[in-house]
Amino acid sequence: MIQVKDVSKFYGSFPAVRGVSFEAAPGQVVGLLGPNGAGKTTTIRMITGFLPPTSGRISVCGHDTISESVEARRKIGYLPESAPLYPEMRVRDYLSHRARLYGVPRQDRKAAIIRAGDRCRLLEVMQRRIGHLSKGYRQRVGLASAILHNPPVLILDEPSNGLDPAQIRETRTLIKDLSAQRTVLVSSHILPEVERTCDRVVIIARGQIRADGAPPELLARMLRQVPARHVVEIYVETRPDPETGGRSELDRIAARIRAIPGVAAIAREPIHGEPTDPTGVRVAEWVRLVVMPEVTHPDLREPLSRTLSSATVLFRELRRQAPTLEQLFMRVIEADTVPVGASKAAEGSGE
Amino acid sequence: MSRVFAITTREFASFFRIPLGWVVVALFLCLSAVFFAQRTLVPGEPAEMRTFFGVWWFLMLFVTPAVSMRLVSEELRAGTIEPLLTAPLSEWTIVFGKYFAAVAFLAAMLLPSLAFVGVLEYLARPDYGAIGAGYLGLLLLGMLYLAVGTLASTLTSSQTLAFLGTLFGLLLLDLAPSRLAAQTPEPWSGLLFKLSPSFRVADFARGLIDTASVAYFLLASFWFVALAAIVLQSRRWR
Repeated sequence: MIQVKDVSKFYGSFPAVRGVSFEAAPGQVVGLLGPNGAGKTTTIRMITGFLPPTSGRISVCGHDTISESVEARRKIGYLPESAPLYPEMRVRDYLSHRARLYGVPRQDRKAAIIRAGDRCRLLEVMQRRIGHLSKGYRQRVGLASAILHNPPVLILDEPSNGLDPAQIRETRTLIKDLSAQRTVLVSSHILPEVERTCDRVVIIARGQIRADGAPPELLARMLRQVPARHVVEIYVETRPDPETGGRSELDRIAARIRAIPGVAAIAREPIHGEPTDPTGVRVAEWVRLVVMPEVTHPDLREPLSRTLSSATVLFRELRRQAPTLEQLFMRVIEADTVPVGASKAAEGSGE
Repeated sequence: MSRVFAITTREFASFFRIPLGWVVVALFLCLSAVFFAQRTLVPGEPAEMRTFFGVWWFLMLFVTPAVSMRLVSEELRAGTIEPLLTAPLSEWTIVFGKYFAAVAFLAAMLLPSLAFVGVLEYLARPDYGAIGAGYLGLLLLGMLYLAVGTLASTLTSSQTLAFLGTLFGLLLLDLAPSRLAAQTPEPWSGLLFKLSPSFRVADFARGLIDTASVAYFLLASFWFVALAAIVLQSRRWR
């Protein structure tokens, strides 16, 4: 439905988008995720025909967005960022105007407006001026105008921008409903929104695709590349012991953990909310250690538990903490140039 | 064609949805009424509107930029150009749709002035041929001025700049050919004179409808609107 092949866009000498390639199939909700200024809107504007790519090729439902621009645009329902509308118009008049622009036949127009208004829960505000509506309603008017002509491709640029949590939830449900027989491309810089709405996520940063895949798949790839950290809480003495050459019990346990094959690094992390001992009588305390495994040893729970047991140290927690998609997102967008788990298409494009 | 009509009807209605449209109509009618009372309703004068049309032509220099300044500029400023340019329409459809709306607004603005003709009819026997030609000249001149304004409106997202740009452009279009003609030998001076809209429109007030002048106004208007469509097209390619 949407095919983006090795597309680049330069504003003067500034590369806004570089070598972006991805596809979106029918019935799929694809999230274009990235920080502000990553190139999401530029990519979307190229797909909708608002901007031409400097190089590369985009097609929508088999129509090239340059050579068959009008045909391609006919297949797209588009909600631009911040839903620009005519504030002086009434909702019904605006939807009627958009239906005419998209060539909805006169006899079908009324039904199309009611259907779109009903889907976006606008029927109670149909006679109100757009300028008098709340931001949430305006966004819905934009969305209703995008689905009026029943397009096979729906492109939504930051659809939940400026909405409150309840409105974001509503929009999410609506997008899911609309995706039944359509290709939906949603851009956002809010990770949970994309994670919950989309079947597939394309992460874009500095104009390049950094990751492409289903959210669980991306997480699995990330785990293969960045293994889950292990958190251990042990009860040990932390004061230096003169009998052991000034080393504390904690130092000795840490050294034993470090010796476990597959441990890359170990660090102490503060435990917030742990009661302190004001008398200073207590000789041992709870200490949290974070153990980072090597890629070759993603699960160290068993050797860790054996080591701690053999050292007869008391431990109250030993858990493997997988990176969240949020951490993956941050890691991916902060990466300088190397794409993390980018799609085959993107890899093939020479990124 | 139905899409051009869709753009035209929305744009035309929008003139009346905002105060600017009503202010322009009210100002135009008030000033017209004052001039009509002072210049035309004079005892002993012939029942014609020639001097009146002369004033209107002058007023057109200021009225048409006010009408055309928001046509595309407002879309560029508010970002509504994006849903418009991503709809299955050509830039020609958009620009011509908007231009026709401005022309329709101009015609609607002139409509109440027919009351002045009614007053003349009541008091004397006016020459309807001359009046009809005068109105046609006024409309053709307005069409040309609005075409220049449409072009200026596609060049900037600021309505003020679009207004001033149009005004400057119209003064240039009106004055430059006659000023240049005065310093140019024949046959060039005659040709330059014929390029001036005010020279062309003078005949209409006398009741003369010259097809060459009609063609001049229509072609020149088309040329400026086409240029506006190309400018809008070029925005897509930046």
